[in-house]
Amino acid sequence: MSSQNPSMNEVLRTPIFANNPVAMQVLGVCSALAVTNSMTNAVVMTAAVTFVLIFSNLIISLIRKAIPNSVRIIAQMTVIASLVIVVDMVMQDLAPEIARQLSVFVGLIITNCIVMGRAEAFAMKSTPLMAVVDGLGNALGYGVILCSVAFVRELLGAGTLFGVEILPTQANDGWYLANELFLLPPSAFFLIGFMIWGINVVQKRKG
Amino acid sequence: MRYNKDSVPGTFLFIACLCIFCSLMITGTAAGLKERAKAKELARMKHSVLMAAGFGDHRGGDIDGLFERRIQPQIINLDRGEVNGEIDPMTFDPNMAAANPQTSSKPKKDSARIGRRADQGRAFTILDEAGNFDGVVLPFHGKGLWSVIFGYIALEEDLSTIRGLYVYEHGETPGIGDFLDDPAWQSQWQGKQLYNDSGKVVISVVRGGAKPGDLYGVDGISGATMSGRGVERAVQFWVGNEGFGPYLQQLSEMNKG
Repeated sequence: MSSQNPSMNEVLRTPIFANNPVAMQVLGVCSALAVTNSMTNAVVMTAAVTFVLIFSNLIISLIRKAIPNSVRIIAQMTVIASLVIVVDMVMQDLAPEIARQLSVFVGLIITNCIVMGRAEAFAMKSTPLMAVVDGLGNALGYGVILCSVAFVRELLGAGTLFGVEILPTQANDGWYLANELFLLPPSAFFLIGFMIWGINVVQKRKG
Repeated sequence: MRYNKDSVPGTFLFIACLCIFCSLMITGTAAGLKERAKAKELARMKHSVLMAAGFGDHRGGDIDGLFERRIQPQIINLDRGEVNGEIDPMTFDPNMAAANPQTSSKPKKDSARIGRRADQGRAFTILDEAGNFDGVVLPFHGKGLWSVIFGYIALEEDLSTIRGLYVYEHGETPGIGDFLDDPAWQSQWQGKQLYNDSGKVVISVVRGGAKPGDLYGVDGISGATMSGRGVERAVQFWVGNEGFGPYLQQLSEMNKG
């Protein structure tokens, strides 16, 4: 945080770009590699993380004064884990097909450092409203990275976006030869690397 | 005494409250989704039965109406083969019935390796447009290589010719065991005979492929011998004496008379 009492606008906006949790703090990269092979997966995953992040920040901020210091982390984990189970159950009900594709990565939101990190670093010492805004900001920051990586990967890897064909692939009598490297997790490493580079360059220019 | 959140009792109290709160949150969601899950399960059951009976995929269409007109579900007392009118077939839960020791028993010869068999089973009679008996759909399940394979088998009016087979749930090796879902493989069962001339159950999944014209054999898939054998044994078990055999006998006597 740039100042001791950041404004709401600042809390919402910094994590989206300037202090992006994935690109700048390199948190939550595991899921960013795994679920970004299609736009649908990335969007659903972002929605799940947004829900968990907002509510975990809200609940922890509400009870922050009652949490005994010695069990701080475990109390945060309990709240986060319960929220993730709720998300998992809802997802299995609403979209069983996508839930099957995301498989363990929904459950692994529990260990996503962004959620834990925001709970410990921000929600523990902020008012509920600010905590919610912070959760939203960080979730959007996570989502921006996820969706842009997924955009490139799905477009170049399969020639589609949200499953709709954009570049007609040679497999379907089109002209585009799909680059399957982009469907494999390592390609996300390169893409995220380029994004970190880009964001760093812009930040340096700003000073 | 003033409440101190960092004292040992304070910590315990806090954790207890937090756990209760979190479990309420989870059970609340589960309870809220339960009705929807039940409705989905029922819809899936209807779809599977209709697929096995050869009506095709009617999901998104008038599946309830078609099911209502052409399919008549019944609960069967498996040992005696009689219809049990006391249980509503649409709310019957076969998995729970098989798990509950009071409503299930260990089969004498557990060839399908199912562990426990429910005393009651749900069978479906197929009616033609005029409402006359046109066949029967029976559920089957049995262990494959890794998982329990669940499906339905439909028989023609003569109760020996297979009308269709549909597998709706399995966890066999991905890629290799997927043939179970393959409509082409499932359609091979059509027209095959369950019993040979002396009335023995002889239908089988043949390793290396069934000979053309084999009335009692369906192709097995290389690399998935155990999955194929699982289906074969499950079907044999459920149409046999420990499954719906007594019921089928009663049905055929009723049809003759």
